[in-house]
Amino acid sequence: MSMKEGKQTGAGRPGYEIYIGLEIHIQLLTRTKAFCSCRAGYGDEPNTNVCPVCLGYPGVLPALNEEAVKQAYLVAAALNCQSAALTSFDRKNYFYPDMPKNYQISQFYRPIGTGGYIDYPVDSGIRKVRIHDVHLEEDAGKMIHAGDVSLIDYNRAGTPLLEIVTEPDIKSGEQAEAFLRYFRSFVRYLSVCNGNMEEGSLRCDANISLNRPGAGLGRKVELKNMNSSRFVRLALEHEVERQSGLLDAGETVAQETRLWNENRDATILMRKKEAAHDYRYFPEPDLPAFYPDEKFLGQVKQQLVELPLERRLRLQQEYGLSIEAAAYLTIERETADFFEAVLKVLQGGAEGFAATVYNWLNGDVMKELNNRNLSLGNSPLSPKRLADLLLLLEEGRIHGKIAKKVLSLIFERDRDPEFLIADEGFEQISDDNSLRKLIEKVCSDNPEALKQARAGEKKVLGYLIGQVMKSSGGRAEPQRTRNLLAEIIDADEEKEEKAR
Amino acid sequence: MSKEIQQGTEKQNAHVQELNTALGAFLQYNPELGKELSLSLNSNNSDNQPLSGMTFAVKDNIAVKGFRLTCGSKMLEKFISPYSATAVDRLVGAGATVVGKTNLDEFGMGSSTDNSALLRTNNPWNTDYVAGGSSGGSAAAVAAGLVPFALGTDTGGSVRQPAAFCGVYGLKPGYGSVSRYGLVAYASSLEGIGLLGLDIGLLKTSFETMAGLDAKDQTTTDMACFRKTSTNRKGRVALLGGLEGLSPEVEEEYRSVVSHLPEIGFTTEEVRLPFLDYVVPAYYTIAAAEASANLARYTGIRYGLSDSEAETPRELTELSRNAGFGPEVKLRILLGTFVLRSGFQDRYYLQAQKIRSALRKSMADLFQKYELILSPVFPVQAFPHDSDQLDPFQQKLADRFTATANLAGVPALSFPTGLRNGLPVGMQFIGPDGSEDLLFQAAASYRRIYEPEHPERFIGRSEREV
Ligand SMILES: [Zn+2]
Repeated sequence: MSMKEGKQTGAGRPGYEIYIGLEIHIQLLTRTKAFCSCRAGYGDEPNTNVCPVCLGYPGVLPALNEEAVKQAYLVAAALNCQSAALTSFDRKNYFYPDMPKNYQISQFYRPIGTGGYIDYPVDSGIRKVRIHDVHLEEDAGKMIHAGDVSLIDYNRAGTPLLEIVTEPDIKSGEQAEAFLRYFRSFVRYLSVCNGNMEEGSLRCDANISLNRPGAGLGRKVELKNMNSSRFVRLALEHEVERQSGLLDAGETVAQETRLWNENRDATILMRKKEAAHDYRYFPEPDLPAFYPDEKFLGQVKQQLVELPLERRLRLQQEYGLSIEAAAYLTIERETADFFEAVLKVLQGGAEGFAATVYNWLNGDVMKELNNRNLSLGNSPLSPKRLADLLLLLEEGRIHGKIAKKVLSLIFERDRDPEFLIADEGFEQISDDNSLRKLIEKVCSDNPEALKQARAGEKKVLGYLIGQVMKSSGGRAEPQRTRNLLAEIIDADEEKEEKAR
Repeated sequence: MSKEIQQGTEKQNAHVQELNTALGAFLQYNPELGKELSLSLNSNNSDNQPLSGMTFAVKDNIAVKGFRLTCGSKMLEKFISPYSATAVDRLVGAGATVVGKTNLDEFGMGSSTDNSALLRTNNPWNTDYVAGGSSGGSAAAVAAGLVPFALGTDTGGSVRQPAAFCGVYGLKPGYGSVSRYGLVAYASSLEGIGLLGLDIGLLKTSFETMAGLDAKDQTTTDMACFRKTSTNRKGRVALLGGLEGLSPEVEEEYRSVVSHLPEIGFTTEEVRLPFLDYVVPAYYTIAAAEASANLARYTGIRYGLSDSEAETPRELTELSRNAGFGPEVKLRILLGTFVLRSGFQDRYYLQAQKIRSALRKSMADLFQKYELILSPVFPVQAFPHDSDQLDPFQQKLADRFTATANLAGVPALSFPTGLRNGLPVGMQFIGPDGSEDLLFQAAASYRRIYEPEHPERFIGRSEREV
């Protein structure tokens, strides 16, 4: 590896200002495509979700999907943009085999959102990135190269894409990575995208320029082909090195587009500025301008939710959680919702309980979910069940090990903890009579150990407790067992002494 | 169907085929296929629908399921449409039956139909002459009585000019009146599906059947929003000035029409439309710009002419487009690409849009005062094939009267007014948004002055007289 990961941090490179802007594309989660009624689904048999419209047959026309527009307005609102009172579409012209019409319906003159900003967490602080614009467009198909033939799957052609263009406010690869991690969470909270960079439902291109402080933006280099937030960071860090090297040597940076090559850990030239496309934008005559009315904007407003950063700050404040805990709980809305629902059942969020719930979610619950390939939303564990389990533990009716066993059983049998404890006979044995019986049996079965215990060997005491636990199937209340065992050992000693 | 009727139908079909050999109106004539389509669309095959028993022809840049959709181009010579245009579906749903697809200038680009890459169409009044274009096949078929009405498309006059050349009525509806879904796009913001025929009542019924909102074309408008009656403007007709360059025959005919208008209750007044001189450059700039994008989809990858020697997708696109498009289509694609280049849009495309806005406004102003505008359709009558009377550049200039209505998006109707030297002449009424009905009424009134007919050779064919 040529780049030392993590070497370049927020500090940037001494002597240069770094300006990084991102162009993010998200696949919107609409039921149908942007301009026809085909299913907007992924992973189906190639070329099954297609029709004359999305295949660009002669004579067809696009019909705008209002759901896609609504999601776009929602993102624009969540990004604090000015939402367009009139939005319209334009044709972006270029030839590419996977693009059926050889123009893309996009927005150039009147995008849905302009001039916004977003706060995102980086390290333990918060930074702001301004948003240039948010615009809606259609995706292309997918070209698959197989041997010496190229195949095209048009299932994706015409599915709605939302492009978010930031201002060059990011100062390092590390910040870009943190931003993208947060942005993934942001779009998932809004339920507009599943945010998967590896699968391409969230894609990111970057532009970067370096210049002497106070000299403004430098020559911009565009970076493409980075399908994870880590690659975005690595590519940007590589560019900082490369460009500052050029500038140090008194050379100029060429305005060009470069591709991240993960095998070489470097960016490589894709095309020079002169070879850039002239997209010849002009207004899409087939679609009338869209005017959002009161009702539409009302529906958008209704879908605005508390965003991950706001929620993190609230959880910290309301429940006294650490940044780490609150950050963990708020990455996914599902987790945060679950967490707060559990606390609601437990009636109020005493600080101790909040930390306990977090520990369970971050520990055993996550383990169970991972083992079973489930998520909180589709698992048998409801907030009520987890809360009940924690209450049983709190009341001392079960102890910790049993609680973990019950958790597993909830996943296995999809029943309430109360039922499982009764059904499995898990209730803790804490009455002295029953415990004494168990202990006496263990002692009479282990005369040697008993002798050693009497001689004062602490280790053996532990062994005997273990045997009691084992014979009770783990149900013996541990502290009570220890006390009673100690009593019995002492009593025996007294008896023997008397006998002497 | 009884044997007798079937034999009669077969005889009739054979007759049409024979006439078509002389005219070249149809690229595909297949009434059986049309019947199948009607059966598949009309489960309740009742006889009392508005267009029951009526047959019609469809210009071959409009989709009819199961029929070819060639657009008069080698590019789509073998392409069969998997769907039907909304307008076609509505007509068939109202009882009419498609009999075939008619010839046109390639992708609608031309005004003689001689730009068809597939067939030559002759004028039924004199087969040495062009039928006009680009809806020349539809105009010839209707004039010769092969069908009672036909669909055409009008981007800059492509329904009205061939209608005038062949002596029939030709309606260009207002933009958004009729769904464009299924019309193969050339210049999306200018064009629409129109009608040609000799029976005004039938054209009106057909228009009302096709018109109105369509979810598949979001630029369609609800015709009901236009229903309002004019009062102070009633009967006032604006005569468009700037008539330089008319042939003596057309000029004489025009003056004669103007002189007859008072007889049918119209008063006339000369007006000048300030932007008339800029109509043609603005029209061609916008049309070419839109065409350059609209025709980008023909690459030989998914359908259409496909070069089998190509090694790469790029080569496939280049070779297929080079072989598939004719010279006029290539010219307009290049022109459109040129005017849209970044850095040049201000000079051409945006300038054209400004002219368009100004023209719309001055037209709207005119319609505050006048009920209709009258103008010639075309400066000359039908010309002989391969004549040098109008070179391609002059043919474009000659579109100024018709293209005015397309730029403004308003409806216009060309109507036959007489014969000169054995060839028809036509004039057009242009009306404000939603005035199609008024245009039909005005044209019907003019029948008191001149009653159009079929050329002698084709008299008494399948025309349904009302
Ligand atoms: Zn589709």
